[in-house]
Amino acid sequence: MSRLWRYITSSRLWKSIYRNPYPRDKRSRAMVILNSLALHLHPVRVPKRATRITYTWGLGGLATWCFVLLTLTGVFLMWYYIPTTQDAYWTIVQLQTEVTFGAFLRNLHRWAAHAMVLAVLAHMTRVFYTGAYKPPRDFNWVIGVALLLVTCLLSFSGYLLPWDQLAYWAIAVGMEMGGATPFIGKQVRMALLGGFEIGQQTLIRWYTLHVIFLPLACILLMATHFWRVRKDGNISTPVYEDDDEETLRAVEARRQQLAE
Amino acid sequence: MATEVQRPAGEGKDDLLRTVDEKDLKPVHVWPNLVSIELIGALTITLLLSLMAIFVAAPFYRMADPELTPNPSKAPWYFLGLQELLLHMHPALAGVVVPTAVLVLLGAIPYIDRSKKGTGIWFYSKKGVPIAVFSAIYTTIWNVGLILVDEYLPAGGANGIAPWLKMHGFPDAFAEIFVPIAFMTFIPFSLWTIVKRRWQADMRECMIAMYSFFLASFIVLTIIGTAFRGEGMALSWPWDIPYPPHGKE
Ligand code: HEM
Repeated sequence: MSRLWRYITSSRLWKSIYRNPYPRDKRSRAMVILNSLALHLHPVRVPKRATRITYTWGLGGLATWCFVLLTLTGVFLMWYYIPTTQDAYWTIVQLQTEVTFGAFLRNLHRWAAHAMVLAVLAHMTRVFYTGAYKPPRDFNWVIGVALLLVTCLLSFSGYLLPWDQLAYWAIAVGMEMGGATPFIGKQVRMALLGGFEIGQQTLIRWYTLHVIFLPLACILLMATHFWRVRKDGNISTPVYEDDDEETLRAVEARRQQLAE
Repeated sequence: MATEVQRPAGEGKDDLLRTVDEKDLKPVHVWPNLVSIELIGALTITLLLSLMAIFVAAPFYRMADPELTPNPSKAPWYFLGLQELLLHMHPALAGVVVPTAVLVLLGAIPYIDRSKKGTGIWFYSKKGVPIAVFSAIYTTIWNVGLILVDEYLPAGGANGIAPWLKMHGFPDAFAEIFVPIAFMTFIPFSLWTIVKRRWQADMRECMIAMYSFFLASFIVLTIIGTAFRGEGMALSWPWDIPYPPHGKE
């Protein structure tokens, strides 16, 4: 067994994929982070505190993971779903009754969507109560607010697609609200509905938003969000003084010292 | 200056919460210390959601029928707070102005509270938790109180604050726009003033009060909108709400 394993891990193919051996020492633990697409979003090392569950509760990570689950299950749903007012409902019926794992994956998609909204709200609340929005993370908080909006819109736009009573009337309530926009209410309603009432045009608009535009917007915002977390000095660490330049430099020096 | 930073936890000259030990700030390798936690987190949530997907079916009612309005007719839960507001004020206010203002104000938090002091500290100072708790209770009392008054205040044939005002000759815009705006600004403003007086709160502590106001309002309105609104969106007990709503099954 171990010989086979050694044979595999010393093959060219394996080495072309994994540039370094299983990380056991300082150097390879650094290299694994730097050499992997998913892992390089992290710094090589973080303050111990940043890994404590009770600091971040991992909520940003959970929101990200929900997004991944939603993408995977969503692709599966798209294989069966047809966005027309005659077919939409029946393709879901068919999906649930005839397709292997159809009902399971639809349920998973639905529950993961709710979980993502919850995770994002909880994440925002943790960031707030830990004061992690303060400069230099101020703009990343703004990106976060945009992510909150996009997350809600993603979830809401998906709501219409099954074309059942729940979907239709939830959207009707939403349209009533949008249509009440001061001064441009009629135009807003028209843009959201693609007509005067909820119908085929509405479905295709929301479908397109749900499967292309909003996910892309979310990915772009998430990429910026993660990049900013790194650029803003990684996960926040305690600041006890209202820092002037000098203190900041001292903190930085101290951090370097600790790192050695 | 470096001595400032080295000061051990708990010996501050102010009352910031110094719960973080300096040892805790020592760097550790992300692999395996963080990556393992992330993996466990991802697996746990996947497992929980899968179990839920196995045992709880996602709602699916009969085909959309524009002729058949379900009663009650509700948006998904995260919008039910807004739908609750819709019952109490002009739709332009509840559906557009308030959510926009909430997003803008949330985004503005770091530009109003700019000091770096307290970054990375749960609830900031010894006053943080009491202020948050007080704000949540204060907000909840206001919200629940106003909802009850707006539901039961008799006004001729109807009930509610706006009909009552109109019955007494106030213009529609006053009853449906001005009065709700006045309440929605008075509650946070009075909260800010109380927190400032009672706790000598600084900017961060006032922000904690404001966010707690937002969070408590969101939670209270969402719960009431979800579990206490039945037929005709009248206040009812959760067990009296028709499920599935009429016209949905
Ligand atoms: C789709 C939605 C979101 C995703 C996937 C996401 C993801 C993340 C992740 C993975 C982190 C790293 C630390 C952690 O997990 O707590 C983070 C940090 C952060 N997030 Fe988000 N986030 C989202 C929404 C938000 C929202 C709504 C806000 C605030 C309005 C926000 C503000 C921040 C800030 C300021 C940080 C830095 C925190 C620190 O340094 O301690 N994010 N985000």
